[in-house]
Amino acid sequence: MSGEVDITLMVNGEEQVLSVPASRTLLAALRDDLELTGTKNACSQGVCGACTVLVDGMQVNACLLLAVNTDGCKITTIEGLGEGGKLSVVQQAFVDSGAIQCGFCMSGMIVSATALLAENPNPSRDEIRQALSGNLCRCSGYVRVVNAVLLASERRGA
Amino acid sequence: MSEIESPIGKSPPRLEAGEKASGAALFTADLAMPGMLHAALLTSPYPHARILSYDVTAALAYSGVKAVVTAEDISGGLFGPVVKDETALARGKVRYIGEPVAAVAAGDEKTARYAARLIEVEYEELPAATTVSEAIAEDAPILHDDFAEYFKVYQAPEDAGNIMARAEATVGRGLDGFEEADVVVEGTYEVPAQYHAYMEPVAALATFGPDGRVTIWSSTQSIFRTQANIHEGLGIPMGKIRCVAPRVGGGFGGKAEASGQLVVTMLAKKAGAPVRLVLGRDEDMTTMRARHPGTLRVRTGAKADGTLVAREMEVWLDGGAYADDSPAVMNLALFYARGPYHIPNVRTLGHAVYTNKLRLGAFRGFGNPQASFASESQIDEIAEKLGIDPIEIRIKNAIQAGEPWLGGQVIATSALTQALKAVRDASDWTRAREAAPGCKRALGVSAMAHSSAFLASGAIVRLQGDGTVILNVAAVDIGQGSDTVLSQMCAAVLGLDFEQVAFATPDTDSAPYDYATAASRVTHTVGRAVHIAAAGVRDQLLAHAAEMLECALEETELRPGGRIGVSTDPPRNAEVTFGDIAQRSIWAAGGPITGSGSFMPHDPTDPEHTQMSGFLGLEAISVLTFGAQVVDAEVDEVTGAVRVHEAWCAHDVGRAVNPGAVASQIQGGFVQGMGYALMEEMLWEDGRLVNPSFMDYKFPGTLEAPDKINTIILETPEPSHPFGVKGVGEPPLVGAAPAINNAVSAATGLRLKQIPLTSERVLRGLLGKE
Amino acid sequence: MHFHKPISLDEAIALLAGDAGAMPLAGGATLVAMMNAELIEPNALVSLGAIDELKAVKSAAGGDVRIGAMVSHTELATSEQLVGGHAVVRRAASLIAHPTVRNIGTIGGAVAHGDPSSDLLPALVAADAVIEAAGSAGRRDIAAEDFFEDYLTTTLAEGEVVAAVRLPKSPVGATGVYEKFTRVHGDYATLSVAVMLAMKGGNCSFVRIALGAAGPKPIRVKAAEALLIGSELDGEAIAAASQLLAEASDPVDDVRGSADYRLILVPRLLSRALANARSQVEGAA
Repeated sequence: MSGEVDITLMVNGEEQVLSVPASRTLLAALRDDLELTGTKNACSQGVCGACTVLVDGMQVNACLLLAVNTDGCKITTIEGLGEGGKLSVVQQAFVDSGAIQCGFCMSGMIVSATALLAENPNPSRDEIRQALSGNLCRCSGYVRVVNAVLLASERRGA
Repeated sequence: MSEIESPIGKSPPRLEAGEKASGAALFTADLAMPGMLHAALLTSPYPHARILSYDVTAALAYSGVKAVVTAEDISGGLFGPVVKDETALARGKVRYIGEPVAAVAAGDEKTARYAARLIEVEYEELPAATTVSEAIAEDAPILHDDFAEYFKVYQAPEDAGNIMARAEATVGRGLDGFEEADVVVEGTYEVPAQYHAYMEPVAALATFGPDGRVTIWSSTQSIFRTQANIHEGLGIPMGKIRCVAPRVGGGFGGKAEASGQLVVTMLAKKAGAPVRLVLGRDEDMTTMRARHPGTLRVRTGAKADGTLVAREMEVWLDGGAYADDSPAVMNLALFYARGPYHIPNVRTLGHAVYTNKLRLGAFRGFGNPQASFASESQIDEIAEKLGIDPIEIRIKNAIQAGEPWLGGQVIATSALTQALKAVRDASDWTRAREAAPGCKRALGVSAMAHSSAFLASGAIVRLQGDGTVILNVAAVDIGQGSDTVLSQMCAAVLGLDFEQVAFATPDTDSAPYDYATAASRVTHTVGRAVHIAAAGVRDQLLAHAAEMLECALEETELRPGGRIGVSTDPPRNAEVTFGDIAQRSIWAAGGPITGSGSFMPHDPTDPEHTQMSGFLGLEAISVLTFGAQVVDAEVDEVTGAVRVHEAWCAHDVGRAVNPGAVASQIQGGFVQGMGYALMEEMLWEDGRLVNPSFMDYKFPGTLEAPDKINTIILETPEPSHPFGVKGVGEPPLVGAAPAINNAVSAATGLRLKQIPLTSERVLRGLLGKE
Repeated sequence: MHFHKPISLDEAIALLAGDAGAMPLAGGATLVAMMNAELIEPNALVSLGAIDELKAVKSAAGGDVRIGAMVSHTELATSEQLVGGHAVVRRAASLIAHPTVRNIGTIGGAVAHGDPSSDLLPALVAADAVIEAAGSAGRRDIAAEDFFEDYLTTTLAEGEVVAAVRLPKSPVGATGVYEKFTRVHGDYATLSVAVMLAMKGGNCSFVRIALGAAGPKPIRVKAAEALLIGSELDGEAIAAASQLLAEASDPVDDVRGSADYRLILVPRLLSRALANARSQVEGAA
């Protein structure tokens, strides 16, 4: 089969039926086809983490996945973390910790932090730094990013 | 008089933090318009070549292509901030690999990229000068044959080949001052090209309205510089150019001047449709800008007791193919060449040179990181030679309030000694740290100064019908938090809650002029204009209130939350709200309440103090602020790897309007400076960038940055500023490289004079191998 | 571009055999990045992601471990089956790039790509792994040491895919370590050393060493290992072994370090790796 391929993605809880060229990345499908522009493109090589999303609950670089190869998967993007128009605990902790500056890396950063806390609800600072090591930020120096994840961890535990 | 709780000194969540956390924030690449086309660039494969002809037939014929532009479509002239030497697309010649030559607009990005490769350009290769030494060689190829005819805002050297700018300054007895020295140290320092690596690659979107006006949304640090670039480069009257800044994903200097906005404007005009360009990371790295690499020869003379008596610095900066800000960056390197010290005799000489590589331009620190790496490394060398503690020698020579800076401008305040003592105490400076097996560990220090006031700013504050206000400025928040901080200052003047100030999107149609988000200037310089504008509104409110409350103007009292009462004795309960006044102003008396403020620093140099030539005017640069940093670094003697464990950064901000934002600037700036010190280096081979990706060009991640970056905020109010504010955007970066270099030297005895201190350079140094 | 996602290996092989321009797609961490950079433009991709038999790590009775080609780096890095000497593979996997990439990349993809800077390659050579290749001509086993031929070049034939990687039984008491030196965490190695080691009575009783990023393929020198076996892993023995390894190395000059620097690092990282391995086996004893 050439040209467009029909796929079905469960994105942020909504079923999406798309017709995409086989070479289209998941990142491009999210941004261009579904207009979910919260997920960013900053390197196209899986180095910077700005495109981090959850595929079946796992943090991955959306720029390294072909949309066709995620057919049938459950995708969570930054837009899908909050509930009822409210920020998630992790998102709110990033706001309250002053971790957000230009914000371009933040979608990926917050998605990675969400994945970490799902697996390890009480991470140490070092575990946080390990988990976010694939998310580059040029503004913050990371101190407040780590603070934000700790704050989220505390609030979730509370 | 009741207390108004001022928003100054508080750290509310940033205005736009929520939208950024939710993913809703819109950056240029997130914007789309009906019928929008996508642009792609064709760039130069040669470092230097004459363009003989174009053939765009195949590209135009390719299905989905709507427009192709080359220099033949350029309707305007030359542009550039200090030398007008650039065109929207290469015209006549290409001068670096990656220079945009042509562009395509098509229905989708892939088509545009494919079609761009179908454009045939015939070149005649020319000899290239890809380094400063090649460019100043006797028979060097000349990059700009018409340099003498270009418009410039400074006195350029004549018949100097590729040397675009030469400046010198002498203080006191200049080089003769070395006669007073008991010891002299000399060294030549090398600094690399550092890539800004803003996370958001450059992007621009242009559309022409039915009225013939063009609107450009772009990733920029200055909507008015963008407008000026388009006006000059494309010959469009300013009244027909509207520039808007959506959210901007970092800039650090790299987005101060035009970057793709002219190309999308040309394409949008030709295609008759909106056109968006989003650079890939490789394109951004090969076509945009970087920090100037350079060579600095430095000599320092001191008395045996550590008193510094003479300093010489000769700076050579590689400016790349177009001048951009290079002459100014070189000037500022000289401005900081003496360091924050009382040195009576100084001689500095600087050059900026055209070479066949991408434009080197503004980058956080603007010449200061280069000068300070050399200068502050050498202070440690002289301290070591004299057997004086590095912090002690800095305190001994620290410049004080009332003393002249290089240029003769008098420093209003200096917290340098305080900063040095603060980092000494906080770091427990004399305590040795235990090193891991195979490693050596030590602390290193640096001191720095940087200006806060720079060029012109305006602000407009308007009272809305419900008594809230809207703040219009052109300053773009590129992540540092200026939307929030300027709103805090506006609210403080009016006694409003921070939430009662609406911050308008920077838009040339509505905001008064502002130079740029650059030079650590926004909080100080734009803040002054905001203060004037808000005070204008406040005064009108009070005048209305006096009439409404039937009291004397002096009896009116601003109360928190947008109310005005009367301070008579005995007290009266009468009060009016801003909303009441707003309604009165638009329905009954006086007309709408608007305040505007304009500010331009003017701090004349003193030719009696410093003899200068070849400089751009320094009068518009003012308000120096000081800081000091200590780092704890460890060197792995097995591999040469340097790790920074902890940092202490003390910076005087005059008054911290938003301490959280200040700390963020310090931590982020320090880590960016740490990247400059340890790993960041753009590398070219025969004019071709060999590491144009985040795979190959590395900067610190979570595991490289120290987890502890202790911020010490000093507050020595700036007397000329209504809130006492100074800038802090750049100094934290400036100090990092010399502090780390000094720590490496203290740990190992190895004194390197070239950054980045890659593990390979360090290990070679330790092994005595070059 | 065509896209196929078969559910059996045979089907995948048939699809690849039927289209000379088709490429197998494992995790995609490298392949998709290369497509993004327009370095390759395959006619068709055959995704191996839906083939269940490629997804398991199985320990056999004799102590062998069989790792399906589609096992991700994350699964390897957290596998409880990779113990003893096999820990060299686990540790190498744990240092590949970053968590997000480790969730995508697979052992089969890394092996088939044959990048000498890849962390798994030297680890598999040190573990004496066997690569199971499958193609229309059937299945065959290739020793890892022979599998990697040159930079990005393996013995895989046209249409063949990596089906699994088999690790033979690790010697009793052995451990595996992976010493990786990089510019920053998660980068490709400037130089890496994979070691499988066992000690007996203070002497080295077993050792296998492979260098990563030291040449166009993983570098292993049996003579160097022979110098260490029976030794107390003293400085002299390590220096002599390093000498042979360095002589066999042929690193490149690139942004991660000059060839000369990489060669300087050989004895230094080897010493570190051996000391680390030794403390592990002696600590466990």
